[in-house]
Amino acid sequence: MLELLPPLNDHNLPWMDTIHPIVVHFVISMALIGFIFDVIGVVWRKPALFEVSFWNLLFATGAIFVAIIFGQVEAGLAAPYGAARNILDIHTTIGWSLAGVLSLLSGWRYVLRSRDPQILPVSFLGAGSVVSALIVVQVILGDKLIWIYGLHTVKVVAAMREGLI
Amino acid sequence: MLLALAYTPPEAPIDQIAAGLGSNGLPYSLPIHPNLVHLTIGLFVIAIAFDVVGALYPLEKRVFRFLALPITRGGFHDVGWYNLLACCLVTFFTVAAGFYEMLTAVPLPGVTSTFGLGGMTTMLWHGVGGVMVLAVIVGMTVWRGFQRFFWRRDMGRQVQWLYLAVGIVMFAVIGLHGTLGAQLAAEFGVHIAADQLLQAGADLHTALP
Repeated sequence: MLELLPPLNDHNLPWMDTIHPIVVHFVISMALIGFIFDVIGVVWRKPALFEVSFWNLLFATGAIFVAIIFGQVEAGLAAPYGAARNILDIHTTIGWSLAGVLSLLSGWRYVLRSRDPQILPVSFLGAGSVVSALIVVQVILGDKLIWIYGLHTVKVVAAMREGLI
Repeated sequence: MLLALAYTPPEAPIDQIAAGLGSNGLPYSLPIHPNLVHLTIGLFVIAIAFDVVGALYPLEKRVFRFLALPITRGGFHDVGWYNLLACCLVTFFTVAAGFYEMLTAVPLPGVTSTFGLGGMTTMLWHGVGGVMVLAVIVGMTVWRGFQRFFWRRDMGRQVQWLYLAVGIVMFAVIGLHGTLGAQLAAEFGVHIAADQLLQAGADLHTALP
């Protein structure tokens, strides 16, 4: 059965390069800009921005499930070492949690928008700030996996295959 | 004259600050440029995508009615405009951070990328390309602003087809450009602590416990 799986390249991946970091562009930027537009919309009384943040939030929510699918496959092939194992575990847990939290936030936003698209309660901004903070933490953890531990980089994969790590 | 040009400084400029840099070649632990890139790429792609959705509104309005999702065409174009505006502002910082981090970048020697390029060549293409991409994003933001506030102010479809076509071409350009950036990290080990430590002969069991 195993021989049916595609061969792994020098990134230890069946495809050219990591896809998870590409998909997370859309989760990170859409969720964060959605929160920023909400704040600007409330402070400067520009309700047109609420529509912009609604669509951004909806897109972030859809994208996080794609990010998790690729994230799980690539995490499975990452061969983490040292403290990276722990970081990857926390990153995975927060990632799945964020999928739930973003879905809830989108659902709440859908109801708010259906009632009155011109008004956004401060409590939603509060929730948005907590979710944004969670996303920043998640980005820092993901950053550590690549920029400190070099998971899926050619050099680290070569060292792993030579048994050096 | 030739002799004057052949002069080589006794130390490379990076040596003046080398003592203050970490094993990743930066004075801080995580690079800033790749994080700002999330914003540039996400905002640009979604801006164009929503303008496409706004432009094709007559085709898809039945789908949204079926989904019982109240929508307005102007709402889609608002996403197209505000996301692009945010992208334009952020990208100045993305490019600035990129240039700062390029100054202290040390690509792994002897590596050839999937594209068949060396480290310095990849970095030059990515650096010059980054400025060109910024110029196009600024140009497209001005173009988008003229369409929104002057040329197509009273029209349902707020953008020209040509604008959308240029946007979609830019998806390919940014995809290629981003791949060069990804190669700098994953293949040339630029600013990746583990790669640089391995290159220096360190044991990661002790260097990165």
